[in-house]
Amino acid sequence: MKKNLSLLLALVMILSIVAVGCGQQAAPSEQPAEEVIKIGVFEPLTGANAAGGELEVEGIKLANKLYPTVLGKKVELIILDNKSDKVEAANAATRLVDQDKVSVVLGSWGSGFSIAAGAVYKEAGVPAIGTSCTNPLVTLNNEYYFRVCFIDPFQGNVMANYAFNEVKVKKVAFIIEKSNDYSVGLAKFFNDTFVELTGDQNAVVYTGYYNTGDQDFTAQLTGIKASGAEAIFAPGNFTESALIMKQAKELGLTLPILGGDTWETPEVIDIAGAAAEGVVFSTFFDANAKLTPVTTEFLDAYAKEYAGKEPAAVTALGFDSYILALDAIERAGSADPKAIRDALAATKDFPGAAGTVSLDENGDAVKSAVIKTVKDGKFTYLTTVEPIKK
Amino acid sequence: MKKANVVQSLVSIAVVVVLLTVLNGFLSSFQARIFNLCGIYVILALSMNLINGFVGLFSLGHAGFMAVGAYTTAMLTMSKEMKEMNFFLEPIAPWLLNVQLPFPIALIVGGLMASLAAFIIGAPVLRLNDDYLAIATLGFSEIIRVIFTNTQSLTNGALGLKGLPYIGIANKSSEAYWWIWGIVIITVVFMVVLIKSTYGRAFKAIREDEVAAEAMGINLFKHKMMAFVIGAFFAGIGGSLLGHLMGTIDPLLFRYLLTFNIVLIVVLGGIGSITGSVISAIVVTIAMEVLRILDGTIKIGSLVINGIPGTRMVVFSVLLMVVILFYQRGLMGTKEFSWSWFKKLPFITKKAKIS
Repeated sequence: MKKNLSLLLALVMILSIVAVGCGQQAAPSEQPAEEVIKIGVFEPLTGANAAGGELEVEGIKLANKLYPTVLGKKVELIILDNKSDKVEAANAATRLVDQDKVSVVLGSWGSGFSIAAGAVYKEAGVPAIGTSCTNPLVTLNNEYYFRVCFIDPFQGNVMANYAFNEVKVKKVAFIIEKSNDYSVGLAKFFNDTFVELTGDQNAVVYTGYYNTGDQDFTAQLTGIKASGAEAIFAPGNFTESALIMKQAKELGLTLPILGGDTWETPEVIDIAGAAAEGVVFSTFFDANAKLTPVTTEFLDAYAKEYAGKEPAAVTALGFDSYILALDAIERAGSADPKAIRDALAATKDFPGAAGTVSLDENGDAVKSAVIKTVKDGKFTYLTTVEPIKK
Repeated sequence: MKKANVVQSLVSIAVVVVLLTVLNGFLSSFQARIFNLCGIYVILALSMNLINGFVGLFSLGHAGFMAVGAYTTAMLTMSKEMKEMNFFLEPIAPWLLNVQLPFPIALIVGGLMASLAAFIIGAPVLRLNDDYLAIATLGFSEIIRVIFTNTQSLTNGALGLKGLPYIGIANKSSEAYWWIWGIVIITVVFMVVLIKSTYGRAFKAIREDEVAAEAMGINLFKHKMMAFVIGAFFAGIGGSLLGHLMGTIDPLLFRYLLTFNIVLIVVLGGIGSITGSVISAIVVTIAMEVLRILDGTIKIGSLVINGIPGTRMVVFSVLLMVVILFYQRGLMGTKEFSWSWFKKLPFITKKAKIS
């Protein structure tokens, strides 16, 4: 009985493969050649990074609602989940370019997934617009990958300048999340700029490391206390960063704490509480910065769609990636991926919700950064830093 | 081995090769990618099945072996320019910069390095049993990951590596298909021969009863170590292929979740069945893509169901539960495909194509 049943199950599994094989063959003929332009989206919608992916898709969908057509044709969004997994990201990417035949792809949160998918896009010759993948490797040596966010070197640079010119410190200490490419990259470029600004090879007096998921940072903080540092730069995941703020306060460390865009989540304030007061970080966007006229448009639309919610920076970036894609399609005058790529590469002074986007020769956005602080338990806009002209 | 058996085996290999050639003709690049992935998972599932299924060692160190294999091969195949581009944070160790070997050699070196890692940790760890072994090996694979994260000048740390060349020697993406499936055939044949040899019988004896096996004169430690090292070798090869198929690796790829993917395949297919692992690796990998339909919006007539991302994972959980509840030893148990099936069950011909 059991044997028969197991045979039956095995057979069903095999048949389902066959059926699927046929199904995939038949699928394209079902849809008549309706005039649509397909835009693919691959984001982590399940798994460890689902929260970030969700926010970006929110922005993309919102933009799609505002601008549903291009070149007189309807835009169809094809959203695939990459399960916060590199293998899945590459699969999803292949599916988008091969099965769904999209003209351009948007995404993803998380540089690792973008790098894995980037190889696929490059081979297929389909352009991709990254939303918040800040690792320089994403676009390096890949002429089909662009992005609407600035990259880690720029952000590290901005914070180093801020620390030197505004906070007026000469010696800093690092706490780096070693297992996070973002944190490692930011610290490296902060270090380079800061050493140059101060002219002091040993301007970084202490470097502490931790791994994602660590809970106790007293060893690093005690080291900082003894090192004579005047400020702490601690880019990294928000949960760990919030714990660092909290434990620094408990240890009586009153140094200014600087960080990166990952801190802009309510969790930081929830976990760190009063200890988060006064921390400073750079980010992509702020509702009060009014970077471009599109910012206002985005904010109005967002307020209408998701009443009572504050838009996250990555949502604005998702929004930007979509309107940039549409703009490129319009300039290319066709849905041909190659033409869109060329149009994208020529992007200059494109007004997005999170600032003006000009793409450099690597396909990276040259744009302004926003610096924010925490005041009375709220993220507060401090200043805008213009991009460095090369 | 009987002469008739050898002929039959050769015939079945020929059938598989013909089938692969036919398939290669009409697979789109997306389907080819999934199919390649199937092959890699077959290799990984077989290597785990050797350790977990045939010797009965509950090892969860697979992701670690894969990482060792993948990183070794990647460092050996990447060109100097690519390495310089990747290591922009901290320069690469000079002795690594200029090393470049052809893919097949690098692949084998990757496998050997994974074996070496298995040998080194096997010595202390294989003296443990059951759950303790599982915990120790899981810990080992996490240690490997943490080491790779922290050796910035050797592995580029958390930034990962990008721009790994295509699988093969001609640097063409289409070559991957034959390399992967060629290695699958080699792996399957190797495993079948190994399991049928005296070593294989010793493995099974250890699985059934260690004390009895030892009383029969089997050197427990030697045999366990042998299975562990061979399994790690193929895991390393599988890891290298996976890395080169995607063209990028980073330490996060080799989390314990990857090990559990392979455990899922092995458990579904049958712990201790080569046939089961092969079928299950192919079915699970394809199903994972096919079930994407569930994540999207489904329209049945006028009924529109809005998909929730992640629904497809639920299907696997249910499937695993059903299998565990009703077929404790997996769908195939310890049974293997054999030609004698045809005599008994004429309707089962479809299976021949898969094994």
